[in-house]
Amino acid sequence: MSLMASHNPSAIPGARFMDPVVLARIGNLSLVARAVVDGFINGLHKAPYFGASVDFAEHRGYVPGDDVRRVDWRLWARTDRYYVKEYEAESNMNFSVLLDVSKSMDYGSIGITKLDYARMLTACLTNLVHHQRDRVGFVAFDSEVVEHVPPSAKHMETVLHVLDRLKAGRPGSLRAPLHKLAEHFGRRGVLVVISDFYEDPETVVDAVTPLRFRGNDLIVFHVLDPAELNFGFSNASAFEDLESGEQMPVVPEAMRKEYQSLVRAHIDALQQRFSEVRVDYTLLDTSQPLDHALFRFLTSREKRMRLR
Amino acid sequence: MSFLTPLFFVALAGLAIPVLIHLIQREKKQVVRFPSLMFVQRIPYRSVRRRRIHNWLLLMVRMAALALIVAAFARPFLERDEVTAAAGEGAREVVVLLDRSYSLGYADRWERARAAAYDAINGLGGGDRGSVVLFDSGAEIALRSAAAGERQRLTAAVAAAGGPTAAATRYAPALKVAGSILAESPLPRREVILISDFQRAGWRGEEGAQLPAGTTVTPVPITTGGEVANAAVTGVSFARSTFSSQERVAVTAVVVNRGTRPLAGGQLALEIGGRAIQTERLEVDANSSTSITFAPVTLTAEPMRGTVRAGADALAADNVFHFVLTPAQPVRVLVLDRAGGGGNALYLMRALAIGEAPRFEAIVRPPAAVSDDDLRRVSAVLVNDVEVPAALGRRLQKFVEGGGGLFVVLGPRATWSAEVDVLPASLQAPVDRTRGDAARVGALEYTHPVFEPFRSPRSGDFAAARIYGYRAVTPTQDAQVLARFDGGAPALLERRIGTGRVLLWTSTLDLAWSDFPLKPVYLPFVHRAMRHLAAYSEPAPWLTVGQVLEASFGSGRAQPASGVVLTPSGRRVGVGVDEEGAEVLELAEQGFYELRNRAGDAVTAVVASNVDTAESDLTPMDPKEIVAAATRDDGGRAAASAAPPTPEAQERSQRLWWYLLCVGILLLAADTLISNRLSEA
Repeated sequence: MSLMASHNPSAIPGARFMDPVVLARIGNLSLVARAVVDGFINGLHKAPYFGASVDFAEHRGYVPGDDVRRVDWRLWARTDRYYVKEYEAESNMNFSVLLDVSKSMDYGSIGITKLDYARMLTACLTNLVHHQRDRVGFVAFDSEVVEHVPPSAKHMETVLHVLDRLKAGRPGSLRAPLHKLAEHFGRRGVLVVISDFYEDPETVVDAVTPLRFRGNDLIVFHVLDPAELNFGFSNASAFEDLESGEQMPVVPEAMRKEYQSLVRAHIDALQQRFSEVRVDYTLLDTSQPLDHALFRFLTSREKRMRLR
Repeated sequence: MSFLTPLFFVALAGLAIPVLIHLIQREKKQVVRFPSLMFVQRIPYRSVRRRRIHNWLLLMVRMAALALIVAAFARPFLERDEVTAAAGEGAREVVVLLDRSYSLGYADRWERARAAAYDAINGLGGGDRGSVVLFDSGAEIALRSAAAGERQRLTAAVAAAGGPTAAATRYAPALKVAGSILAESPLPRREVILISDFQRAGWRGEEGAQLPAGTTVTPVPITTGGEVANAAVTGVSFARSTFSSQERVAVTAVVVNRGTRPLAGGQLALEIGGRAIQTERLEVDANSSTSITFAPVTLTAEPMRGTVRAGADALAADNVFHFVLTPAQPVRVLVLDRAGGGGNALYLMRALAIGEAPRFEAIVRPPAAVSDDDLRRVSAVLVNDVEVPAALGRRLQKFVEGGGGLFVVLGPRATWSAEVDVLPASLQAPVDRTRGDAARVGALEYTHPVFEPFRSPRSGDFAAARIYGYRAVTPTQDAQVLARFDGGAPALLERRIGTGRVLLWTSTLDLAWSDFPLKPVYLPFVHRAMRHLAAYSEPAPWLTVGQVLEASFGSGRAQPASGVVLTPSGRRVGVGVDEEGAEVLELAEQGFYELRNRAGDAVTAVVASNVDTAESDLTPMDPKEIVAAATRDDGGRAAASAAPPTPEAQERSQRLWWYLLCVGILLLAADTLISNRLSEA
């Protein structure tokens, strides 16, 4: 199925990202995924930490700084000691997609740009998560944060709306915006980073890893166009860097093999480095169907959860 | 090779189109927008030269194909001689022109020239025919159109040429002879092999020497490499003087050095009668000349043979200059004047007493005292206003008929017997112009030898003389009026009688009827008239090889003579005008020719013969100049025969376009294959 064939303009903002066929296939996958993936399907995942929930868990001695509203006055009356009540944290979690909208994402050699692909992926994931009653948020960034939709159960429409009007326009860098966001996401949740990662693997990992410091689960999607993978150009041309505007003469057939090996080495390095820091990394080819990408992701998540 | 439609070559400009497209494409290079050049920049830069070379190959193939197709449309064709030359058709008629002028005597040129002639003869093919023409200032056919099988005869003809002659080089006669031989030849190919040292002096323009169309001229230059040194004695001049009643002549020789090095340490010798009497040191700068004057030589009554020799160099012929010294011959004039002191010949006598070249010896006689001996001794008679009896008139008529000159000056006393028919006009009554304006002499016949020196402006004004009286005359039918007075009346008339001439001046040559003797033109007029009547001419001290020796040479009077001539090489040749008809001798040798009487026992004259000094200038010319002139504008080649080609031959010569088109199309196909393969790759 062609991705372009799924393009169906609709009055509903972001509706075109939710291709019914794609969602249908994801729905089938969800039967398996529900059992293994926390947070994607409502009721199957465990809350990662305690919090203010309706299900009481235990009492704990008051320490200065605790909210006095959470002091169990009945127990104080009985024991004359201050205890605060601890509850099972609520099962709904925060799910945010961090989407790279730098200029390099606005490239597509097969009729769909990487940004479009990433938008559909974001919409699908958001939709999937929303069905679980989880809170969905969204952040778009290039060299700084461009759009920010805080996680909320009611922000599904907002996220889709923001996705719909996204435009790639400026050169991007990972480190500054991601480090900033790492401080922002105080509450633990699931973070999905979608980018083409045109930086050194070390720089990429260095930029992305802080997102895990607060206990977030981090999933990384590396989106690339087939032309970026295969370098299947034939004519000698001047190649222009989308972000810097720099041009240089290139004889593709003369340097194809070297390019392919360099890209392969880059991907391998990213995979290895992310694996080392326990970040899920998935390479997505925009020529591959979106459901296939999700399936690969969910499969890899399953493996990871089994290991836990 | 030529083209039928060369205008098609304009289409060659189309060759620029692929190149322009190539360049334009380079200018508007395709830009591919790519997300990041991060990886591309890490690959070492490789220029696009490999691709360029690849494209250049394709480009060259395309351009070659286009060029060939355009050339095919221009319809190339081979000219007919190329066709025949390529096919090697037909036998040749070869004329070997061998220069044997005396300049070939320089160093070893003659041997090399003969060797070249032998080579040309040996190069004749089986069906060829060959001729040998030897030329200098003239051309001589040594052997005409011999078959190639008769090579020995041709070789012998060259061998018999001996050595260089004393004559100069002239190419035109040789080419004309060659042209006549070739024109008569039935063979299809014609060739002239011109073996010469190609002196510039030997070619004087085209000279009408045209060879038949289609003739190939192959010049074989016989030149000497390096520096050419040659000195030549180009002439002598004489300064006559009289010392102690003996005539002496100082000889001055001019020596020209045509080499690029100065001539030093040479000697110039003067020989008189075969003996060296003086030797002078000779030094001439490069490309310059000098003159050396020898001490005066006393002349004898007999002609003296003189020679000037200038050292020795590679070309010996022009180092010697011969001449003949003869005592100056006076013009003897008999003046008939009135006896006693009544004569009016004062001005005439004074005029005749002046002058060295020629000197006049005048004898004055009254008409009654003229003897036959007087008439024999003189070459001209001047009748100065005297009565001429009939008997004297008849004797004068006979004198004139025998070649003598008669100058009749009229005046109030001049009367001639009507029986004597010697005057150019019948005499009438005198015309008096003392009243009113005096008569002036005008309407001169400047082409006549008498008035020729006065032809140019400001060289003598006859109108300045005032004529107060003249005799009216009626010219005879065979008389020519040489001058007239302003009224139209004849002033000077001439009549030829036999071999002599009669001049009639209708006024006086003294002051009686005019002031003419007081005018500057008087003296030259009298001298010119007497020289003309006496048929005086300077005896030439030398002649040049190639000139014709006249039998009357040295006889002093224009009378036919006959005898034998002893040439410098000792041959005896009969010459002169005899009963059998005219016979003349062309000078062919350098040295002294002796003219003897029929019996051969007395030398009547000696003639010095010298080489043409123009030949001593060895400056060569470009043989192509002669080739181009002799073969018109076809550059030495023209059609193989005058007959038009057959349609088959014409088609054959034009078939080239077909091959060009085929190759062009094949190249286009190759181009398609190459580009397909490239695009697949």
